[in-house]
Amino acid sequence: MRALLALPLLALAAPAAAAELVVTVRLPNGAPVANAVVSLYPGGRPAPLAPPAGIYKVAQQNTQFHPFVLVVPVGATVAFPNYDAFRHHVYSFSPAKRFELKLFAREQNRTVRFDKAGVVPLGCNIHDQMTAFLKVSDTGLAALTDGSGRAVFADAPSGATVAQVWHPFLRAPANQVELRWTIGRGRQAETVSVNLRPPPRPSAAY
Amino acid sequence: MFRRIRTRLAVLYAGLFAVALAFVAIALYAVIATTAERQVRSELGASATVFDRLWTMRSRELGNAAGVLARDFGFREAVATGDPRTVESALDNLKARLGLKVAFIVNYDGSVTGTRDEGLKREAAKLWTPLDAGETSGVARLGGVPHHVVAAPILSPTLSGWVVFATPLGPSEMNSLERLSAIPIAASVVQRAAGGGWASGPEDSFIRAHLDGRPGELDSGAGVSVALVKPLHSLDPQRPAALLLRYPIALAMAPYRPLHIAMAATGLAGLLLLLLGSWRLSLSITRPISALDRAARRMEEGETVEVTVDTGDEIGRLAKSFNAMAAGIAERERRITELAFTDTLTGLPNRAFFRQHLALELAHADRARILLLCLDLDNFHAVNDALGHAAGDALLRAAAERLRSGAAGSLVARLGGDGFAIVVRAPADPAASARRFASLFAQPFELAGQSLAVTAGIGVAAGAVGLDADTLLKDAELALAQAKQEGRGAISFFETEMNARAQERHRLEADLGRALAQGELELFFQPIVALETGAIAAFEALLRWHHPERGLIAPADFIPIAEESGLIVPIGAWVAEEACRRAAAWPDPVRIAVNVSSVQFRKSGLESVVVRALAASGLAPHRLELEITESLFLESSEAVVSTLHALRGLGVRIALDDFGTGYSSLGYLQSFPFDKLKIDRTFVEPLAERHGASAIVAAIVGLGRSLGMEVTAEGVETEAQLDELRRHGCTSVQGFYFSRPVDAAAAAALLDRESGGARSAA
Repeated sequence: MRALLALPLLALAAPAAAAELVVTVRLPNGAPVANAVVSLYPGGRPAPLAPPAGIYKVAQQNTQFHPFVLVVPVGATVAFPNYDAFRHHVYSFSPAKRFELKLFAREQNRTVRFDKAGVVPLGCNIHDQMTAFLKVSDTGLAALTDGSGRAVFADAPSGATVAQVWHPFLRAPANQVELRWTIGRGRQAETVSVNLRPPPRPSAAY
Repeated sequence: MFRRIRTRLAVLYAGLFAVALAFVAIALYAVIATTAERQVRSELGASATVFDRLWTMRSRELGNAAGVLARDFGFREAVATGDPRTVESALDNLKARLGLKVAFIVNYDGSVTGTRDEGLKREAAKLWTPLDAGETSGVARLGGVPHHVVAAPILSPTLSGWVVFATPLGPSEMNSLERLSAIPIAASVVQRAAGGGWASGPEDSFIRAHLDGRPGELDSGAGVSVALVKPLHSLDPQRPAALLLRYPIALAMAPYRPLHIAMAATGLAGLLLLLLGSWRLSLSITRPISALDRAARRMEEGETVEVTVDTGDEIGRLAKSFNAMAAGIAERERRITELAFTDTLTGLPNRAFFRQHLALELAHADRARILLLCLDLDNFHAVNDALGHAAGDALLRAAAERLRSGAAGSLVARLGGDGFAIVVRAPADPAASARRFASLFAQPFELAGQSLAVTAGIGVAAGAVGLDADTLLKDAELALAQAKQEGRGAISFFETEMNARAQERHRLEADLGRALAQGELELFFQPIVALETGAIAAFEALLRWHHPERGLIAPADFIPIAEESGLIVPIGAWVAEEACRRAAAWPDPVRIAVNVSSVQFRKSGLESVVVRALAASGLAPHRLELEITESLFLESSEAVVSTLHALRGLGVRIALDDFGTGYSSLGYLQSFPFDKLKIDRTFVEPLAERHGASAIVAAIVGLGRSLGMEVTAEGVETEAQLDELRRHGCTSVQGFYFSRPVDAAAAAALLDRESGGARSAA
């Protein structure tokens, strides 16, 4: 996944001083952590959100959600296209958004609007192994780490900032850690070390 | 410890058997116990396996149920949206369906729902950590009781909590396990207290030591059990859990009790039989040994014994050997007795036997009239010396044989030396009896090719009632001494005065022993006058005994005693020294004449006595004249002659005293050149009256002169005698006519007067 969302937002709301910030998320053993969401709160406040740019999409294909983690701004509408030949029953009991798309088949394009910040775990009532996460962000500076564990902010505002790193399996309260950085001028790199718990297996053996 | 072999054997056998039996019993018991325990252990192992299966099945069953519930969409929605009433009712529904006691939800945020029991909630909240670590099955303590806990995660779709089912592991649940076992085991689930023990007392240490699953023995106070600990997975790492299976040993051993009883009974019966048997066996061994023991004791007391032998075994052979030994001892005893009472030379009874026999004879009143003869060969010493000891022994044997053959029922014994004794019972005529024995020696003995006339002196004493054997024997010996004095072949009967004389003699002998030391002896001197010059040529030393009570005792009375007792030897030595000492004071030509007894010749040392006397006094040897008697030559003449030559070699003069009264043979005069002959007074006394006497004196003087010897006449008392002697040419004279024997001072005075006289004469 890439930090698609951040780029247009930063171009619009660039303050007087900004620098490129590269955040790398790793396990203690140095392995890169993908699918972690890094959110920046310059001066402890959310960065202004850009207006929704098109429709976000979480597809169901080969009995899996794609992508596994999707970062959307508050108020975004997400479509759930089904590319499989059978039906799915997408639901979420999350406090951020509780919804249920009962047994919809191919071609039936359903959309849901997410107007509350938070994490929305997605499941399928028919297929236990299907899981995905929507991160509904209230700050304009939020990016997803790629396969090498990196999230890049092209124009991070200078000064003190609060950074939040979230991952669905991160071993911490609310699966999230919070850090405080001071962004200087020029390119800056930060590394965050996290612990992950093993992903829950839907069919535990007894 | 045990004084009898019997007891010892019985105890030994019984003891050995008991020990062997004890070993067998111990071994059997050990085998049984081991077998029983192994059986119990394997049963416990099987029970543990069964429990394992049950546990797994139950876990799966509960897990499935929990899983089904956790996946139910509505339930998940109820949990996820925080709808406790719905959750509770759903759980109650499931509990009823599955027969569960406890069910609740542990939410992912740590809260517990699905139950209203606050205590249970607190305990359930502790399960979050193991549940979050993925542990969904194990033992947990709920309400103070260990529970089998199974959980299933609630995914909606993320983990929002766990459905937890629990069943208590109490006695009623364990009962179902106990019923499944083939043996009646006791099962319980134990859990260690946080930071404490598993249980109390011995169980705790047992569980700690046997967590590896090995069965072991647990003594819990209520009896020993074989027990097995099977650790169970606990959801609380601080409080491990385990299954404890127990089976009492007593219960396991119960089926073998009849076998134990049977073995004990058999052992006891065997022990009794063995005691009885070994007692009987040892009896059969010790009975003959006891018989031998008794026989040995009887033998010790001098009895002749024989043990009856009725077996052929070692003891039988021992008894045979014992009998042979007893017979051998008896035979040897007989031989020793025989030897002890027999004279080996002659085969006659010896003195010891004779004395017993005599005592026995005298002890019987009717045999008191017995006659005891003591017989002694005359001159046996001479035969022994002349012909040798072998001839002497032969003579004794021949004499013994004659006595034995002539004894006619009387007892003949040899008393020692050439002395014999004969006990004659109640003789009609004692004198005739004695003569009959004397006549046995009438015929000469043929000895070493020579015919030898041997006579015997006989002393006779008659027995009387109450007379003891020693006294009678002494009487007979006194009579014999009398007979010997009387001459060859004499017979003398004991008279009471002999006894008195003998006692007198004994007293004198004892006194004489002291006389020398007490200074009671004194030398007197009688001058010997040379007829040619009329001067004193010599003195004869004559011994006098001044007895403190009896006064002066004549030599004839005590010299024989001195000779018989051997006292003559020291007395003779004293005489020689004293005489030489006195003579040394006299003028040179005057000699001293000292009488020497034949006893002194027989004992060695005469020569050294003379040498010492001469050396001590400084007297010139030629002034000492030793006077010996003819009787000396009755005994071994060769030894006498060699001694005489030795004395002569010293320069001492030898004179022959009492010539013509003793030995009839004159042959000895050729064997030694005497310096002087002394004519005995018996020839001098009748010199004036009888013509024949004068002829003998003349013959002796002629003999002496022709052999180159001086001749001295003794006992000259009258002038007529002196004239006659002078006429015959006698060299010197001695007698009362000139002087009695005088003491040393008087003798010295005589010499002084003579020298004075000589001076006045000159």
